[in-house]
Amino acid sequence: MDAKDEEFLKRLRATFRVEAEEHIQGLISGIIELEKSPKTEKAAVIIETIFRDAHSLKGAARSVNMKDVESICQELESIFGKLKNEKFLLTAAQFDLIHRTIDNISKMVSGAGLKTPNDNSELIKHLRSITEEDEKEKNVETKTKVVKKSSEGTKKNILAENSLSADIELVDEKLFRSETVRIPTAKLDPIFLQAEQMIQYKIAAAQRTKELKSINDSIDSWKKKLGKQAIHSTAEGGSKLKEIIDWNSERLNELEIKIAEVAHVLENDQRSLGRMIDDHLESMKNVLMLPISTIVEGFPKFVRDLSRSQGKEVELVIIGKEIEVDKRILEELKDPLIHLVRNCIDHGIKKPDERVRLNKPSSGKVTLSFNATESRHLEIIISDDGIGVDLDKVRSAALKSGMIAKDSLEKISTQEILSLIFQSGITTSQIITDISGRGLGLAIVREKAEKLGGSVSVDSMPNIGTTFRLFLPLTLSTLRGVIVRTGENLFVIPTLYIDRVVRVNCEEIKTVENKETIIIDGKIITTVNLGNVLGLVNKVENKLNRKNVTADHLNFIQLIILVHADKKIAFEVDEILEEYQILVKELGKQLSRVHNISGATILGSGKVIPVINVPDLMKSALRTDVSFKELSEKETETKKKYKILVIDDSITSRTLIKNIVETAGYIVETAVDGVDAFTKALIGGFDLLVSDVDMPRMNGFELTAKIRKEKKLSELPVVLVTALETREDREHGIDVGANAYIVKSSFDQSNLLEVIKKLL
Amino acid sequence: MKKTRTELEQENLDQKIILHEDERNTILKARAQTLAVEIKDVTTKKDFIEIMEFSLASETYGIETAFIREVYPLKDFSPLPGTPPFVLGIINVRGQIISIVDLKKFFNLPEKGLGELNKVIIVQNEQMEFGILADAIQGTCSVPLDAIQNSLVPTIEIGTGYLRGVTSDHTIILDAEKILSDEKIIIHQEAE
Repeated sequence: MDAKDEEFLKRLRATFRVEAEEHIQGLISGIIELEKSPKTEKAAVIIETIFRDAHSLKGAARSVNMKDVESICQELESIFGKLKNEKFLLTAAQFDLIHRTIDNISKMVSGAGLKTPNDNSELIKHLRSITEEDEKEKNVETKTKVVKKSSEGTKKNILAENSLSADIELVDEKLFRSETVRIPTAKLDPIFLQAEQMIQYKIAAAQRTKELKSINDSIDSWKKKLGKQAIHSTAEGGSKLKEIIDWNSERLNELEIKIAEVAHVLENDQRSLGRMIDDHLESMKNVLMLPISTIVEGFPKFVRDLSRSQGKEVELVIIGKEIEVDKRILEELKDPLIHLVRNCIDHGIKKPDERVRLNKPSSGKVTLSFNATESRHLEIIISDDGIGVDLDKVRSAALKSGMIAKDSLEKISTQEILSLIFQSGITTSQIITDISGRGLGLAIVREKAEKLGGSVSVDSMPNIGTTFRLFLPLTLSTLRGVIVRTGENLFVIPTLYIDRVVRVNCEEIKTVENKETIIIDGKIITTVNLGNVLGLVNKVENKLNRKNVTADHLNFIQLIILVHADKKIAFEVDEILEEYQILVKELGKQLSRVHNISGATILGSGKVIPVINVPDLMKSALRTDVSFKELSEKETETKKKYKILVIDDSITSRTLIKNIVETAGYIVETAVDGVDAFTKALIGGFDLLVSDVDMPRMNGFELTAKIRKEKKLSELPVVLVTALETREDREHGIDVGANAYIVKSSFDQSNLLEVIKKLL
Repeated sequence: MKKTRTELEQENLDQKIILHEDERNTILKARAQTLAVEIKDVTTKKDFIEIMEFSLASETYGIETAFIREVYPLKDFSPLPGTPPFVLGIINVRGQIISIVDLKKFFNLPEKGLGELNKVIIVQNEQMEFGILADAIQGTCSVPLDAIQNSLVPTIEIGTGYLRGVTSDHTIILDAEKILSDEKIIIHQEAE
């Protein structure tokens, strides 16, 4: 086949798959509905719908040349056709067969397990038997039917009426469809990102307006000063001077008026721009609101299959699936919901005979109820009428995993025991099945809920049932977070977890049982260094060095006390910056989960700041034993530290060199080019410079030459690191006064450190 | 009467056509053959891949353009504590957060040489997406598949799995699909 044709067919098949999935979904929900209520008037409408679905699917399959799908749909269509025209009821076994058939179609459509034609023909044979069996029965019945004919006639009338109303519904649906456009979500996501990114420019515009106003303010004070001068100068009688001053004030007035005009217009522009951006973002958020039905569509089928495979009878009731929720929340929600429903069936609901023994209806009931609260939250209640959580099993599992000590077991309340099931490693299941019982699931559910800014709780009554309650925001709302600095790194800590922020004197920190603690409100709280817990050891050492050097005016330390699951820990940080409204984003596809970090946020300036996962951090903090004092003691043992300035315009090279030099135990500061470096060198008191050559504004050669000319710095050793490899370049470097010249192509950690060691 | 030049040429032409039938056949055959070769060329055109060449620590690498989303200048990045050394950090690409991978560290290549490292090549397939750190972008070119040698040059210490081979110009062609779908590149640190 021609490549073009192949490409075309491929595209066609992709379109077909989307269409087919819709029909298949329609078939599945229709059949499940029919199985539940086979005799009601609704049944006729359902049959009509599934008949059409089967018919359309058949046609679509024919157009893409999928003969297997086509022929099997033909059989389904004739069964449904028969159902439609002559009322007869399908048996449970026949329902099973139809479900199996649809499963098969779905597999064939997705191209997953390509079924052998043999398998298919087997199914077709079975399907055909349904219609044929009925045929036989009817032949027997024909005679009796004649008598019944009159009543049959009225029945037909009812049916006709029903199909009429179905037709009306269909018309409505068509109208609705013509106003809807199908857009792949992959296309919507970047638009949403762009809308979000515009906030950055909204903030920037507001900033510019402010700046312009402050320019005018400085002009104003300039004018005032000039006015005073004018009074003095007239007193002194300098008419020429007065003339100059007058002329200047006039120009200043004009300038001030012009700037004020621009500022005014800019302010208006900025305001309408801001409003537009907000509105746009709001509309984009609405576009991304999808009904819950988009994720729970497959649930009835899933529940049916799972309960059948375990020999249980379970009815699933879904309430409130029309509620619209942010697509990004829905995406995250599907797996936890599946897990919770699975949990109800696996652990909660027992086999029919056991249920009957407990005086319950043989069929279990799982309810999935969605409810939008007034506080713009989504409340999800997953409940079952099963046996409830076996508290004794949870207790013994918790004991076994060492989560609680034996003697404290009696003190723990029932509610606390229940909440233990969200801990990873706790399972009450005797056998580990492939779907649950590994004790990880509920921990993941809790983690997901917390990540979305929500919570999960559980309630259980023995032999009455278990209820899980998820409480989530409807939109991926912005979170409030405080930005903190440790060393050179900034992090966001969600305000939700912050108990308080305090500044304390170093002296107040006491070592208890080899742990740093502080007493706040009469309670002893463990104190750790944030950078230390996060594993930023270099930076902490660096900071401590500085601390040793200038110990006298660093008596105060900044603590931020975090609280999670009734535990409080004080984290030492270098600085607490502002509190912001932030939007937590994923770290990208590659970083699926990183310790202590839940995501990242983008500031108005475009800067990316990691967001701390506080529950994780608290756990890490308890594991970190290297205490603050130990570190500082270790530090004081070592001798004087040299200070080195690293200059490179490339951020990666700069960071790389900095890390190498820092790891070797030097104190490092950085500069981005020669101009920056020279200013820093003048005041920084450095012992050595490591500089790139090719840089904007002032290159490495110029910088070296300038340093050699400056009296204060003339003795400062300079190491040039460069991509320029020729002899002339090397000579040029020596000419301007560099002490060492390292060529980038042969650069490595050891030769740089060797050179530094030699020069110091 | 002297024949005009055109007449002479016409005569020559006629002679050629009429007299040398054998010769004509050979010419036609030769033509047919060249044509046949050309058609064969057309079919082999499929065996070219388009790559983007970039330099990284004095070596030239190539990545199939089909996997490249864009090249982004690296001005600033935020390091992430706790991640393995091959994860440089994260950047903001028009509101989307992208992680950056240092291939030299990922391949465990010796830390020799220092480049500019101020470009990020964002690579993607259906499941994965991240940025690769690069020194400089050299451009794109088409490379015939049969010009890629699979026998490895001894200087290359990257695992064979990640390479498609080396061209005659010593461009090391990376197997983007393999790198993108390698489980080792995914960071997933479960809560402890």
